[in-house]
Amino acid sequence: MRLFQYHRPTTVDEAVGLLTDLGDEAVVLAGGTSLMNMVKLGLAEPEQVIALRGVRELHGVDTQPSDGLTFGAMTTLREIETSALVRGTAPGLAEAAHHVATVRIRNQATVGGSLVHADPNQDLPPMLMVHDALARVTGPDGSREVPVADMFLGYFETVVGAEEILRSVRVPVPRAGMRTGYLKFLPRTRDDYSTISVAAGVTLVDGRFEDARIAIAGGGSVPVRCRAAEAALVGNGTRPDVLAGAADVVPGEIDPISDGRGTSGYKRDMARVCTERLLRRLVAEARA
Amino acid sequence: MTAAVPFAQPEVRHEGHLKVTGQARYTGDHYPDGVLHVACLASPTPHATITRIETRAARETAGVHAVLTGADIGDVRFGRHLRDLPVLATDRVRFIGQRVAAVAAETREAAEEAVRLIEVDYDDLPPVFDPRQALTSDAPVLHPEAAGYLTMRGGTRELLEHLNLQGDLLTGHDPEEMERAFEAADRVFEHTFRTPRQHQGYIEPHGALVWFEGEVCHVISTNKAPFTLRSHMAAVTGHPAEKIDVYNRFIGGDFGGKGFSIDEFVCFYLARATGRPVRSVMSYVEELSGAGPRHAAEITLRTGVTRTGVFVAHSADVVFDGGAYAAGKAAADLVPHGGLDTMSAYAVPATRHRLRTVYTNSVPGGHMRAPGEVQAVFAGETHVDLIAEELGLDPLELRRRNLRGADRVADGAATVAEEVLSRAAAGVDWTATRSPGRGVGIAVYRRKGGAGRGGVVLRALDADRFEVVTGAADQGSGTVTMIARVAAAALGVDESCIEVIQQPTAVAMFDQGAGASRVTRVLGAATLLAATDLRKMLAEAPRFPIEVAREAEAPRAEDSHAFGAVSVEVEVDVETGQITVLSAVLVADTGTVINPLSHRGQLEGGFAFGLGAALMEELPVEDGQVLAGSLGDYKLPTAPDMPPLTVVNVGDTEGTGPFGAKPVGEFGNLGVAPAIGNAVARATGVRLRQLPLSAEAVYRAVTEARPQE
Repeated sequence: MRLFQYHRPTTVDEAVGLLTDLGDEAVVLAGGTSLMNMVKLGLAEPEQVIALRGVRELHGVDTQPSDGLTFGAMTTLREIETSALVRGTAPGLAEAAHHVATVRIRNQATVGGSLVHADPNQDLPPMLMVHDALARVTGPDGSREVPVADMFLGYFETVVGAEEILRSVRVPVPRAGMRTGYLKFLPRTRDDYSTISVAAGVTLVDGRFEDARIAIAGGGSVPVRCRAAEAALVGNGTRPDVLAGAADVVPGEIDPISDGRGTSGYKRDMARVCTERLLRRLVAEARA
Repeated sequence: MTAAVPFAQPEVRHEGHLKVTGQARYTGDHYPDGVLHVACLASPTPHATITRIETRAARETAGVHAVLTGADIGDVRFGRHLRDLPVLATDRVRFIGQRVAAVAAETREAAEEAVRLIEVDYDDLPPVFDPRQALTSDAPVLHPEAAGYLTMRGGTRELLEHLNLQGDLLTGHDPEEMERAFEAADRVFEHTFRTPRQHQGYIEPHGALVWFEGEVCHVISTNKAPFTLRSHMAAVTGHPAEKIDVYNRFIGGDFGGKGFSIDEFVCFYLARATGRPVRSVMSYVEELSGAGPRHAAEITLRTGVTRTGVFVAHSADVVFDGGAYAAGKAAADLVPHGGLDTMSAYAVPATRHRLRTVYTNSVPGGHMRAPGEVQAVFAGETHVDLIAEELGLDPLELRRRNLRGADRVADGAATVAEEVLSRAAAGVDWTATRSPGRGVGIAVYRRKGGAGRGGVVLRALDADRFEVVTGAADQGSGTVTMIARVAAAALGVDESCIEVIQQPTAVAMFDQGAGASRVTRVLGAATLLAATDLRKMLAEAPRFPIEVAREAEAPRAEDSHAFGAVSVEVEVDVETGQITVLSAVLVADTGTVINPLSHRGQLEGGFAFGLGAALMEELPVEDGQVLAGSLGDYKLPTAPDMPPLTVVNVGDTEGTGPFGAKPVGEFGNLGVAPAIGNAVARATGVRLRQLPLSAEAVYRAVTEARPQE
């Protein structure tokens, strides 16, 4: 690895100022579980590293009755997994966070890092997309809010600009009665990135889908909401053929690459199987 | 009878406290004053001639003390038997990852920076990646200069019919006898199997620290055979062996890979060039792309069977992908010998094996826990199930009819092999009816091990104080504790009276090192001899201090086999192809157990090792480029992946080791893949003939087998 200059700002303004001053040579370090591996492998060679750990305003989970949950960017995945607030309000997020690597890594990895790193196999982004979460980004010209569903541009690439930092993620108050779940398909070892993973949230009223949200990770360069599959559910009952019909739509909505975790075709097929299984599970849970 | 006492009490590892408190110093933990760090430039191309190397900018980098290329050190080659791998490439590179230049600098970062500034021009040559293609008459020849290659024993070797052959071993009956034997069979079955390259996956990568004190060259490295390393370094560098001192105490995992030295040689030349201690520790990228993974293999088996299911003839044609160099193989015929064990558990009157290893422009193959045998047992035990299927016989029954030694029992008593097999079958309730998607599978094998030579010095300081001096490196398997327990038992004293002292090669007696599952057999026997003699001497005339030195040798021809069997019950998710091993049984005929915890650890760990090889491990290589850069890509099984496993020790056959011990180091992993594959076939009707048995491979096979709608 190459040596770098290490900066420890204590405010968001200071961090943004450093990013502006240092330009292209600077990268932001959150938990370091991805960046430091890339640096060690020589895949990233930053000259300047701006560490956000000392920025107090980026830490912590906040809740307001009208706003839902707000996670500071430095909130660790372990906090999301274990927070009573999250488990009570948006249990699917705790479930998805639980599936990330090991406790040691979850104690270090952050929600901000897992979004800005933009690895399409991450576990949390599809569940944030199901929740219509919004990312708050701050730069020299102020702050803006971007739907998580719109923030990914490609492999390891997001709309967060070179002089911006992701400040927080807001999860709006979930729809009343929405039931969420996450299915991470791990055909090799249980300690792995997913071959494909599905996050879903369904709201059933009188045995019909009033609302449905499905997001897939590992199905291409970015995690995606499968709106066509969602449309196949809304207004319909929960018969197996309805669930299968929605799942059948999913393979056409994704564009997975072939790699050590499976060929493109296999991932497409598994996205279908996993979507159907997750929908069945959520319907069964709703009935119970 | 095997001896249970005095070894019934589970051991406490003598070196355990050093490890859990972080005081055990592994190779990479040494930072002597003035140490320089190494980084190497690797070839980016699978086959090319080097037309120019420019190192000026690297030499001028701040902190850099030396930049060496093949031009500086000459055409110096090393290898465990055949010295075909250059320390640094001179005129030609033959795989992606081959070392072309080496830098020693004040920091690892400075060394890496200098490596980036080295310019090399390559003139690409046509590469060959497929072993079968490499054996055709118009294939590019990787080593046109092979006739001049030296072996570690000195001298050259006889060249084979094709220059791309590393080794070509033919054993067994001659072709005419085989023909007659096959003619006598009622049916002949032929199947072909494939197994991939796999990496040992130890946590500690290869590394070395080398420094000179006057003329004496000191080495601390990850090599598990210090004396062999010393003689190899002497042969390669010309430095006198008596002026090389190797001191390797702690090794962080081996699994067959740590007999192959890589860094020691380049460190030698850098230390000599700089006059400073030089430290090299491989990155995992370097590990995966150049440290001697298990050979990929293509195995064609042919077996002649009578109407009643008796094997009368068996032949095997095994082609190993040797990669660009043969340097990683220790045996003189340069083939992974375990390839002979395709039918190891069975009595077959006529057999013939041909094992070939072929040069290709890929990462050179090395040793990994039961080299060749993992491939052979997967093929053989899958083959036996296929035969049973075609004959309409229960696979358990077909195995029983052919087990080795069964004909020697006149009184109807079960042989050890039968007992091993039956206990494995009973352990998964072989005959039970199962729901769709579930099935049981079994594999049985016989393994020899333990040949080699080594000695210890045993010193009595007082009636209750003894020291055993050994030159052995402990790669984690419990060598030090085993020696102490054998000494204590033979001396009739408490284990706490024994201290085992690991010493450098300059002090300790010769020991061939860990490998071939030999340590307990050889060093245990040497310790037993020494302790028995010393006890006698002390009984006759007690005086202190007094010492004896004893050596033991286990000959290659020694009958040191043990039978093993694995049975599993699996559930296959036919919608995804995912295999879940619901339960597993490993039955071992392993003689006297000296270290009960380590013994269990070897068998359970061996099973986990086999589980990885069976279900998930494949080192992906495309056009010579290894596509995994870390253990994040090359996945190993972890604790949650382990099924409930029952380990059963059976039999009272005495082994050839001390107190009747048998080798188990390379035993627990052998039957896992075929047992799982056989269970999958019984659960789904789908038969896979290659490893790993990935979910996707099962899914494809199930999908293809399904009747079209």
